[in-house]
Parts: sequence; structure tokens; C-alpha cells
Amino acid sequence: MLEVKGLVAGYAGSEVLHGIDLVVNDGEGVIVLGPNGHGKTTLLRAITGLLPPRAGQVLLNGKDITHWRADVIAAAGVVHIPQGDLLFPEMTVLENLLMGAYNGRTWAERKVRLGRVYELFPWLDERGGQLARSLSGGERRMLALARGLMSKAEILLIDEPSLGLAPLTTQQIYASIQTVKDGGMSLLLADENANHVAGLADRVYLLETGMLVREGPAQELLHDKALLESYLG
Amino acid sequence: MHDTQIVQAVWGGVLFGSVYGLMALGLTLVWGAVRLLNLAHGAIFLVGAYAAYWVVSSLHQPILVALPFGVLAAAAFAYAMHLVFIRPVLGKPGFDNSTLVATVGISISVSAAALLIFNPEYKVVPPVLAGSTIVAGVQITYQGLLVIGTSLALFAIVYMFLTYTRHGMAIRAVSQQMEAASLMSIPVVQTYGLVIAISGALAGLAGVLLSPSFFLNPQSGFNPMIQALIVTIFGGLGSIRGALVAGFVLGVFESFVEVFYGVAWAQPGVFVLIILMLIVRPNGLFGIGEVRRL
Repeated sequence: MLEVKGLVAGYAGSEVLHGIDLVVNDGEGVIVLGPNGHGKTTLLRAITGLLPPRAGQVLLNGKDITHWRADVIAAAGVVHIPQGDLLFPEMTVLENLLMGAYNGRTWAERKVRLGRVYELFPWLDERGGQLARSLSGGERRMLALARGLMSKAEILLIDEPSLGLAPLTTQQIYASIQTVKDGGMSLLLADENANHVAGLADRVYLLETGMLVREGPAQELLHDKALLESYLG
Repeated sequence: MHDTQIVQAVWGGVLFGSVYGLMALGLTLVWGAVRLLNLAHGAIFLVGAYAAYWVVSSLHQPILVALPFGVLAAAAFAYAMHLVFIRPVLGKPGFDNSTLVATVGISISVSAAALLIFNPEYKVVPPVLAGSTIVAGVQITYQGLLVIGTSLALFAIVYMFLTYTRHGMAIRAVSQQMEAASLMSIPVVQTYGLVIAISGALAGLAGVLLSPSFFLNPQSGFNPMIQALIVTIFGGLGSIRGALVAGFVLGVFESFVEVFYGVAWAQPGVFVLIILMLIVRPNGLFGIGEVRRL
């Protein structure tokens, strides 16, 4: 279980998040919906240690991980699939995947884990020797997702998986995230499009100018067209 | 053109090339992974050489005991430098300037310390392999053959380490996308420390193996440092293949100029070659520019 309590974070001179409270239960799919520029990426970066929070707490299964280093948080099982993929451009597809399993206890199982991500994205197996920088936008996104899945994740944090992708690729990406979630993975997904996430979501938070303004079951919130319209435009 | 001259030029060239390459390897590795221009590389070379000399002269141990000691001392020194001078400024604005000043300062301090501890006289570090043979009138030392073999082997080992092992791949990952590497649970700062320690070990090994041919005094780190820098720039900063090829190209070129036109032309000749090459390829032979690193 991931808990965020009163989280405040920002960049030099400007505070972006003004006290976020949020919970992701085991096996739950939680979506943070909000327009661009309202703090979704900042929230995920503050949780996973890329941006040290100014105040508040992040708890993983009750343990305070707020001021841990990003690599230690990742090793503990909070795995962040960042916006813009951030692949290792001069490494091959296979090497990128292997780096997902870098952590000592995961490394020993890397072959089994490779088998699992190849089931999800068979093309990764066929094109293992290709350099990551030569992939298309959609392929890069799939590789970034697969690389995250190579780790021993307890919870996946995914930042706008469909940003800038064609509709068909977008469908593919969400279908694969659905498969991962059906396997029992906890998810915290930041998105700006309510339509994409309908199947994945158990609970939804609405984020506006750095504050969570609404929280509720996905069934309720995602069907409230008027509400979504007013927040997401 | 006599056979002796050609053999002399080839032997000298291959030997110079190996020496240059061995020094450049550590320098280019640290630049590629950490973006640190380590101007203390020659000082670390000196630490390895003096540490081995101390084991031989004061502890009266054979060079085979002194060699690993020198390598470890150099690696430890490099790692300590990382902890004290590099780590505190990692990722901060002014990293380039402060590390340049710090590494130059370390170079000066190490030379001064060597002067105080060991006095300015030339020291003799015994070769690991003594003896030599004559080929076409040219003396081929066994130590020289060892240097060539070691240098080639180390290029192969470093290449395989970076390509096939978990920690080696992590070094490349950190150099290409630091933030993603930390999200993959790779400890970025420790990985930098590992690279700097490996580079230090390479410089230390070079120090122990080369001192028998060049003698050892408190300024002995300077020339290898400058040569390594030249080779690294010629080969392309951050490129391992570049360091290997550039080491041999420059070594053989210098040796041929020396044998056929006289020693006075060797250094100017090398610089003319480098200037011409940099006009044609500003990023070096295997220049990888800013985007591609290890």
C-alpha cells in the first residue's frame, strides 16, 4: 500500500503541489486525472525521489520512504515509468530491458522476467539487438513500460502513457497496462484523458493547480460528464 | 631504408601506442561516464608508481607483490578523490570548473608530496619481466612486450565489462540517462565512484609497468597525462575504441617520424597530425559528440 500525506513539492521559486493526500491499496488501479501543467508529473517525481518533497510523507506499506534516494525507492518496489520514456538511447532493446532488472535480487531472475515481457510485447524479443534510439515513438513507449516491468515492482507509477501517440498505439499501450493490472499489480496512473483509463481505474482523483479537488470510485467520477468537462475541458 | 630502422620504428610505435592507449583508456572512461576531465590522471599514475617503488625499496618485496599494491593504492587514491572533491559537486552548477581546478590542484599536491616523501632523485622501479632479445638489430625488452600485451588485454577486458556485465551496463546506463538509471534502482553516485576507481587502477597499473622504462621522479606523471589527453582528444573524448586506435596511430606515427626524421620532429609532427585531424573531424577520430557517450 502506498500512502501520500500532505505532500508539498515544487521547483526553485515555485511550489507546484500544495499538500497532496492519496492512497493506493494493494492491487488497486488509481488514476490521477488533471490537465497538463497542474502537477501530475511533479507528484510522481516527488513520490519516487526524483524531486525531494518540501513537506509531507510518502509511506510504502507503512514505512516512511519520503527522503530515500530514487534508486533505493525503486529497489523497494515503487517503480516509476517516466514521461518521455527516458530510454538508454545507445543501448539495445535487450540491454534496456536488462537494466530494468538491475537490482540484485531481480537480476538472478532476469531470464524468467524477460520471458514475461516478451509475452506482452513479442516484438521486443525479435528486435533485441536494435538500438533504442532507432525505435518509433510507440515502440519507445512500449519498451519503457516493459523495462519497468522487468523490475520487482510492488506498484507501478505511470506518467501519461499515451502522450503524443497515435490512437492505435494508444489502445495497445492501455491494453498491455490492463494485462499487467489484471495480474494483480497496483497502479498509480497520471493521465489527462478520462476515456483511456476507464477500464484500469478503481478509484480516481482529480488534480487541479496542485491540489486534489475530488476523489471517488471510478464508476461514479468517470461517468459524470459535466464534472469531467469542467475540470479537463 | 634499412630493416633495422623499420623494426625500430614499428617496435617503438607499438610500444608507445600501448602506453598511450593504457593511459588514455582510464581518462576516456571517466569522461564518457562521469563527464569529468580528470586532470589528476597523471597524479594517480604517480601514486601507483611510487606505491610500488615504496614496497620494493622499503619493504624489500619483489615487484610482483608491489604491482598489485601499486594498482590498489592508485584505485583507493582515485576513489578518495571522488569522495572528497567530485561527489560533493555532482550535478551542481559549476561542476566543470570546480573539478578542473580540483584535479589540477591534486596533481600539484601529489607532485609536491612525492618531492617531500621521496626527494627529487630518479627512482628505479624494477621491471616485472627482466631481459630482452634482439630482432634485426633492435632490442626488444620483455617488459615492453608485457606492456603491449597488458594494454591490449585491458582494452578487451574493459570493453567486455561494459558490454556484458551488470555493473558495466549500469555504467553505460548512468552515462546515457542518469535519471532513468536511478529509476531502475542503479545507484548513480556509487557507479561514478566505481568508474573513477577503475580508472585509477588503470592509471596505477600504467605507473608501475612504465616506470622501469621512463624512471620515476615527482614530475613523471606530467608527460603520460598530456599524452593521454592528446590521445583521448584525437580518438574522440569518451570513446574507448577511439583511445585504442588513436594510441596506436599516434604511437606509430611518432615513432616513424622519430626514426626517419630525427627525434626533434616527433612531437611537432604529432601535433600537426592532430591539428589536421581535428580540422577534418572536430569530435575526434571516433567522435561521439555530446549525445552519444559510452
